[in-house]
Amino acid sequence: MSSSRRLSVIVPVRNSTDTLARALAGILSSELPRDDYEVIVVDDASSDGSSELAARYADTVVRLTGRTSGPAYARNRGSELAQGEVLVFIDPDTLVRPDTLPRMLATLAEHPTLDAISASHDGAPAARNLASQYWNLLRRFGEQRQTGTSGDVASPCAAIRRNVFYAAGMFDEWRFGTAPLEGIELGERLEDSGRNVLSSRCLEVTRLKQSNARSLCREVWNRSILLARSLGYHRTLAAVPGEVAFTLSRTGAPAFAIACAFALSAAFLRRPNLPVLITIFLLGMLALDLQAYLFFVRERGVRFAIGAAPLLLLLQGTSALGLCAGWLLRDTFGDRAPDAAMQAYAEVGLETWPPVPRAGAG
Amino acid sequence: MGVGGTEDLQRSDRASQAHAFADAIVTEKPEAGDRSSFPSPNVVNGSDSRRRTPRVSVIVVLPENHVVSPDRLAQGLRAHGDQPVDVVVACAGQPTNLAALQKSVGDAQFLLAPAGTSTEDLRELAMRQAPGDIVTLLRAARLPESGAEAELFTRT
Repeated sequence: MSSSRRLSVIVPVRNSTDTLARALAGILSSELPRDDYEVIVVDDASSDGSSELAARYADTVVRLTGRTSGPAYARNRGSELAQGEVLVFIDPDTLVRPDTLPRMLATLAEHPTLDAISASHDGAPAARNLASQYWNLLRRFGEQRQTGTSGDVASPCAAIRRNVFYAAGMFDEWRFGTAPLEGIELGERLEDSGRNVLSSRCLEVTRLKQSNARSLCREVWNRSILLARSLGYHRTLAAVPGEVAFTLSRTGAPAFAIACAFALSAAFLRRPNLPVLITIFLLGMLALDLQAYLFFVRERGVRFAIGAAPLLLLLQGTSALGLCAGWLLRDTFGDRAPDAAMQAYAEVGLETWPPVPRAGAG
Repeated sequence: MGVGGTEDLQRSDRASQAHAFADAIVTEKPEAGDRSSFPSPNVVNGSDSRRRTPRVSVIVVLPENHVVSPDRLAQGLRAHGDQPVDVVVACAGQPTNLAALQKSVGDAQFLLAPAGTSTEDLRELAMRQAPGDIVTLLRAARLPESGAEAELFTRT
């Protein structure tokens, strides 16, 4: 009945009712004929009625129960039901444009050697508050400078050939239970196996989610820890330099050096003038992040750039702490892994519903 | 050597844990509306029941003024294979051939929403009633053709 479908859109959701309807409506407004694609929503144990809301738009809704398992697990469950030749993973807080899906499909059709393609954020997020605008611009800043060899084959919107996805071992459900870097890890695996991933700057999508300083700190903290603990900082920097954690942490070492220099100089001064020292330090930080600030000025003006400065400093500090925590955890406890019992269930290959999370096979 | 031996021992322990877990769940039968979490000590202790396969539901939405023949509905549901599914048919208003539809899919749950209920509302309503872990929502227009008498038509 639906074997003719060319594309399967998979949307993992977790308590996403605030943005889900708009995101799914965006998918359904695609220029692609409706019978050419299916929409699979995987509800990761939501408590806010996300699955009922998803039913208004989707062809299939998967309800996962129990504790939350993360977007990697949810995406994998959706892909197991997918019938399309191409899988498209779209975040529930992402609005695609009517031409996004056909363009992805056309690009993959025109370039048979291309295995996956990912979109980037546009410059006009739906939420108008400073934190949301700033976060969107920061990610866009990284994506526009992306010159790496790999990409994020998950967020915010990415397409991959189904056979390639299965051959690569799907997303790693063990290490990426809660943090959102499973797409980068899959991209690296694809690259290692000689597959081609394109991070497109032309394919743009709109971010719908409203953020605040606290949610951004949590996001940066999770990303930074996982980056240092599981992915490897330098390896990932070479593959995906546009990742937001790199944008934030690139100036970490020089900033730390400047801070130490000023602290030392203050120790030798008879009467250190603290305001002057702090001002010089902040000017030094500004100089280090000049490219980012110039980008902010270009996109939003001087007032926005000035307003975003405290947020940038806050997130840089959070990222630095997260990276240190990640390195410490890696050297102390090793890489992330599920508890021993869960590993055992996976080893035996026990069939249960929902399935036991599994590691991404290389 | 020593490390490898420890790993083997740990692996063996984990495997025995897993087999114990498997034995625990095999003795349990699926129950309606069963919702459980990933393997946890509670599961192994048998305080939580699990299933080996997901429960599947199929929702068929019949908007107002749409009539689908019983044959076509039954064939559309058969297309989902031999696995047992919970069928929910959500209708806006009462279909004229309701009795025939009920006869063709005997185990189906029919939801009769007031006439004028939108397709989206019908889908959401049916989703609330569907017990499945995997819920497929069929559009009436995508039900398969099954002969001349099984055409989908719109009342005028």
